[in-house]
Amino acid sequence: MGALIKHPSDPFLTTESGQGMDYEFHWNVVFQNMPELLNGAFVTLHVSVLAMLLGIVIAILLAIAKMNNSKPYCYIATTWVEIARNTPALFQIYMAYFGLGALGIHLSPYVAVLSALVFINAGYLTETFRGGFQSIPNTQYSASKSLGMTSIQVYRYIILPQMLRRIYHPMTNQFVWSILMSSLGILVGMGELSGTTQRLQSLSFRTLEFFMVAAVMYFIITKLVLISSSLLSRKLFKGEI
Amino acid sequence: MMRKLATSLVLSCIAFTSVNATADQLDTVIQRGTLNCGVVLDFPPMGYFDGNNQPAGFDVGYCNDLAAALGVESNILNLTWGDRIPSLISGKTDVVIGSTSDTLERAKSVGFTYPYFVFKFQVIAPKNKNIQSFDDLKNLKVGAALGTTYETEYLAYAEKKGWGTDNYTAFKSENDAYLGLYQGKVDAVISTNTNIATKLQSAEFKDFAAGPFVPNYDDVVGLIAKRSEGAWISYLNLFLVHQIRDGNMNTHYNKHFGSDAPADLIQSLRDNK
Repeated sequence: MGALIKHPSDPFLTTESGQGMDYEFHWNVVFQNMPELLNGAFVTLHVSVLAMLLGIVIAILLAIAKMNNSKPYCYIATTWVEIARNTPALFQIYMAYFGLGALGIHLSPYVAVLSALVFINAGYLTETFRGGFQSIPNTQYSASKSLGMTSIQVYRYIILPQMLRRIYHPMTNQFVWSILMSSLGILVGMGELSGTTQRLQSLSFRTLEFFMVAAVMYFIITKLVLISSSLLSRKLFKGEI
Repeated sequence: MMRKLATSLVLSCIAFTSVNATADQLDTVIQRGTLNCGVVLDFPPMGYFDGNNQPAGFDVGYCNDLAAALGVESNILNLTWGDRIPSLISGKTDVVIGSTSDTLERAKSVGFTYPYFVFKFQVIAPKNKNIQSFDDLKNLKVGAALGTTYETEYLAYAEKKGWGTDNYTAFKSENDAYLGLYQGKVDAVISTNTNIATKLQSAEFKDFAAGPFVPNYDDVVGLIAKRSEGAWISYLNLFLVHQIRDGNMNTHYNKHFGSDAPADLIQSLRDNK
């Protein structure tokens, strides 16, 4: 019992048995493994940035398809959005890895997580984009057409710049969500921040320390993303959000 | 006056709790009347769910024996490998009987008892892979459950041999590792000899075979409890001695492995190696 530190006089630090919280934090083992944790954090950032970029491209296409009068495109887009938005991310990742595996399609953990995140990002962003598109009056489209612009030119120069400005903040939220959800990569053995943390803690059993540091790292990553996106928005939109 | 009265009331309350504070884990379990015992239930035959979806296995048998010795109810909590330590620290479990390898690194964080079992780490792979020695894994895709000692041992071996980690896949649980092997995501899985023997009895794994052992490694495992609970760990140690002395160990071994416990296993446990 020698090393035990009790706080019998502190009524707030008592457990069921009436004892103090008898846990000493050892941080040095975490700092010794910092390079590996940073490596995991890099993978987390990498997969979420890529999932976001691909998700945006697909979502713009799906949003246009959804507003299109052509039935097949509209059905595909609606089905995509419904499945992506109404099933858990955990399920998507599991299906991408083990579900496709049962069909003989073997994705690496990285690709499985990436495709699941792209799938969900695209689903959520489609609805955001559709809202953005619909907030732009139809008359602008007609007016641009009457000036002799092609449909693509109308979207490129008139609609998309306004739309992206309006949905910029919801899009940033989705980005943060994507970073945090990439932690589910641990389920399929992806060596992102959570997976790396889990592996490192099993060597020393300093579980609390490792996961607390990982939580701080997630916080820093998302804060950095939020700050840089707000700086970027100032540059892009000159404060007109 | 009132303030003084209130202060003395608070102080006496604190004094009362500090009397209570001498109760250790052993007292707590006895007073509670329930032993919260953590077991990893996807690791047959040590821990699994039986046909009626009830916890069963060697480790579950040990939990029940321990509860009986203490004269309390046994409450089995299902854990993953990674949950073992958090469950102890947060007070959800009193003891984890979960095949925990007793490395010196881990013993800095958690209290280990004497060993209660010794495993061998082994390779399981499809028969057509024809794996003869551990070095045959060099260019194969290998998987294991995340946070296990066999993961660590494989990675250390791969590093020593310069194989790199590109061919390695970690799975969240033991079951997922076998699912990955079955689906062909990996060519081989490292697990314990006991678990592999159990899996090979099932129809799904009829085209698979047990391969070589991880060289020069005995996986010696103990029960774990909070490091600070010296008296509780002493009790657990005596319990383990009694499990062998009273023949309970052999009974459980027989039930789950289909034969008497090997003499060298019993001897190494008696010698606390």
